[in-house]
Amino acid sequence: MADEMLEKVRDLAEGQIDFEGQRFAEFLATALLTIVGALSFIVGFTKQDIKLALMYGLGGTALTMALIVPPWPFFNRHPVKWLPVGGIKKQSQGISVDGQIVG
Amino acid sequence: MHSTLVRTQNVFGFFTTVAFVVAALIAASDIVASRTPKASVVVKDVSVVMGRANYYAKKKEEFANIRFSMSADLSSLFTWNTKQVFVYVSASWPNSTSSEPSNEAVIWDTIITNPSADHLQNIGPAAMKKLKRSAKGKPIDPSRGKIELKNQKPKYQVSVPSGKIAHTNDVVLEVHYNVQPWVGVLTWTPQIEFLGWKKMKGGVSKVFSLPAVKVKKDSTKKN
Repeated sequence: MADEMLEKVRDLAEGQIDFEGQRFAEFLATALLTIVGALSFIVGFTKQDIKLALMYGLGGTALTMALIVPPWPFFNRHPVKWLPVGGIKKQSQGISVDGQIVG
Repeated sequence: MHSTLVRTQNVFGFFTTVAFVVAALIAASDIVASRTPKASVVVKDVSVVMGRANYYAKKKEEFANIRFSMSADLSSLFTWNTKQVFVYVSASWPNSTSSEPSNEAVIWDTIITNPSADHLQNIGPAAMKKLKRSAKGKPIDPSRGKIELKNQKPKYQVSVPSGKIAHTNDVVLEVHYNVQPWVGVLTWTPQIEFLGWKKMKGGVSKVFSLPAVKVKKDSTKKN
């Protein structure tokens, strides 16, 4: 019981996502931060307000963080389909020990 | 990008790169904004008096008091990247051995903040309130670059190591400025023109001479 809960907490903290999700997160982070940077400069320059540029830059980065860092469900839409253990269907060899089939 | 920690590091890492590039762009945007400052400075009353550099100074020296009037328009220096502008008036004169003005002393200065940097001014709470209210809602306030001084008393008297400054010839007053940006390099009154950055228009007074030491009338009466 305690072990299971600990496992869940560990999973949540680690926040693993699948391979497609990783590719998407990488792209999203790069694109969003670039856009935020460009936007903060353009807004600051046109409004001639350096504080506004700073706010846009920091705010946009915070939003990007919120979107990228947690393991959102859309990063886990392509789970890896593992092959079954051994790769082949198990067939009994008919070995019995003490009346039980073991292999 | 597989775990929370790695994603945090990657996003933050790229954020620092973006921040650096944006800062570089902001610094570069200064070059686009043209600077066309102009000023005129007129010498008013000049006097040379004997005095002590401090209360316990054994030596009495000559101090030059130069009153002046100034009218300056530095409003083009105020852009979104300007933190503050330091304006100073200096008196300069050549050495007896060369014609180049090789002595320079600041006689008056002031700091003009852009509204974005008002909170950095070292003034009392009442004056701070007034200053902030003067530019409420305005990210930049170029009108602060307009300075009008009438018969201004100098902030600093001029003295020289030899202690003798009376009868100095070929003295001129000059207006200088120093732009301190939020991001980028400090820039002083340019000596060459560069793109939109023009030299100061005017800003130099007529040549004048310092008079003889003023004789105190009170002390002569008492003696």
